[in-house]
Amino acid sequence: MAIKKNIKNIFILGFIITIVLLSIIIFVNKTLDKEREKVIDTQIEEVINGFNQMQTLLGMGDTYGNKMTCLIFENMLHDLDKSIWELGQRIDLYRQTSEEFFKSPYYRQQKKFFNEKEVFYLNLLRGVKQKCGFEQPIILFFYRNSGDCKKCDDQSFVLSDINEKIDEEISIFSFDMDMNLTTLKILNQYYEIDEYPCLVIDDKRYCGMQDKNIIIKNLCMVANISVCQEYQ
Amino acid sequence: MNPTYMILVYLVWFLATYFVVTLILVLIANRKNLYENRIFDDAATLPFVSIVISAYNEEQKIEDTLKSLKKIDYNKIEFIIVNDGSNDKTSDVARKYLDDKRFILIDNSNNKGKAACLNQGIKIAKGEFIATMDADSMASPDIIKRTLPYFDEHAIGAVTVSVEARNPSTFLQRIIDLEYIIGLSLFLKLLSTFNCLFVTPGPFSIYRSSVLRKIDGFDEDNITEDMEIAFRIHKSGYKIKSCIDTKVRTLLPDDFKSLYRQRKRWYSGAIKTYYQHREMLFNRKFGYFGFFIPFNIILITLGIVLFLYSTYLGLSKLIENIYYYHYTNYNFFENFLDWNFDILTYGGVSVLSFTAFLGTLLIMFVGLKYARIRYKEKKIGMLGYPFIFFLYQIFWVASYFSVIRGKKVKWR
Repeated sequence: MAIKKNIKNIFILGFIITIVLLSIIIFVNKTLDKEREKVIDTQIEEVINGFNQMQTLLGMGDTYGNKMTCLIFENMLHDLDKSIWELGQRIDLYRQTSEEFFKSPYYRQQKKFFNEKEVFYLNLLRGVKQKCGFEQPIILFFYRNSGDCKKCDDQSFVLSDINEKIDEEISIFSFDMDMNLTTLKILNQYYEIDEYPCLVIDDKRYCGMQDKNIIIKNLCMVANISVCQEYQ
Repeated sequence: MNPTYMILVYLVWFLATYFVVTLILVLIANRKNLYENRIFDDAATLPFVSIVISAYNEEQKIEDTLKSLKKIDYNKIEFIIVNDGSNDKTSDVARKYLDDKRFILIDNSNNKGKAACLNQGIKIAKGEFIATMDADSMASPDIIKRTLPYFDEHAIGAVTVSVEARNPSTFLQRIIDLEYIIGLSLFLKLLSTFNCLFVTPGPFSIYRSSVLRKIDGFDEDNITEDMEIAFRIHKSGYKIKSCIDTKVRTLLPDDFKSLYRQRKRWYSGAIKTYYQHREMLFNRKFGYFGFFIPFNIILITLGIVLFLYSTYLGLSKLIENIYYYHYTNYNFFENFLDWNFDILTYGGVSVLSFTAFLGTLLIMFVGLKYARIRYKEKKIGMLGYPFIFFLYQIFWVASYFSVIRGKKVKWR
């Protein structure tokens, strides 16, 4: 009888310990979610700082003239391009990691915010490109989430791969059309996009899945980038 | 990750962790009683013991087995060798031992199957206790003197011993060696503390002869007769104890194919045995045993579903990735070099998998410690042990399918 009671107690204790371990794991996961938010917050803050600096620079252009603006802009362009692309990638990566994170209003809000800022930066970049005569090609990537657009993930993979190689020579903007932002809808209408994924390379539209060779070929038609020789 | 998958992962993790945690607690609670160090040595009351061995085409291995029997330190004993219609010289090897009056040979010309041969031996056995042994196993000299004291209550129907590997040499054998030490010795010992021992391993187990006769010996239609008989022992109200003070050493499968065949037989047999004795499941009459077995079935089944689901998801991801790469001229290597570690890209499933892996390591280290094995001696096997469970999932899947398809799994 005593042994039976002892075993029963062990079973109960085992259950309690398992519940405690499970709670610890759930807590670790929640902490990881929080850390993910923090990383994205920090990165967004960096991007916003970059945008603010950019606005100041444009203001300086009025005072000191285009020469000064272009000089500083040239130096900043690469860093900001990189931050924006990395932020987009990270948000996407964390979305795949944690379902809860993806569903959270926080994620959607950040994604909206990010897309809005991207449009703002795109406007700046286009303006400065004209003013300063920069050759840097601009790629706009319009997509929907993978449920509605199977090829969008494929296209994102190809763009990441290209960006790894020539990130200093191009600017890529990715726009999530599921965010229903008015600015994105206007861009969509302007470029007459009717299917996803869709790329716009220096104002020229390429809808449907584009592989690496085709994108580089199209890039090489508008600018002389380092990989052009390799692909000729 | 989709919600169904996550629920499944958490469920399997919870059940498996509960199982491991409880067993570790049982181990801690019984750590001083694992080795009882009792020896039956009262010459006046020594009961007669019979050891029955069924042998089929064992000419290469049976010699060592018979030699080990001769070394058994017990006077009132007989050895009954039942040749199961071997095509080789098994019976000639056994005949050499007949000069020793303790040896008896039943030489069948037809192949009857292991259980039938054991029953033949049991029928003529004179022992108050009857041990059954595999023809490729070697018993320790003290095996009878160590196991008999465990029959200290009338309710003890059978006693099992530690099963260890005989000269493991390949990497696979060294891993299985560890599995036997932990799974077939210590694990069974722990289960016996709450009367849930569900198998009396074939390499060596000893039974009270009255119990064997009462339950009509082994089931000749079951391919895991050593498991099936354990169920009937429980059903008849008897207990099974485990003695890890002594051991039997047995030969291990030497390659993947033999291991696959062995496990397919074990697991298919287990599924059939569960079904055969389904009335015992969730039956309070059989105490913890009635609940432990269904818990085990649920855990294994959910584990298999999770394994299949994970394999499906993993393969889909792999195919998807390969598909991605065809858009970039298959530049796998370039991307591997660019890979950056970011701990935040690991989510709930990764954390659970990591803790499951730690749990396996814990079982291995704690198991070896309490089995009184030095880590240094088993270091090669320890490298592979945590990964062998993936292999077993494959074997379980194959076994489930063969049972569902009604395919007959042969003993040999």
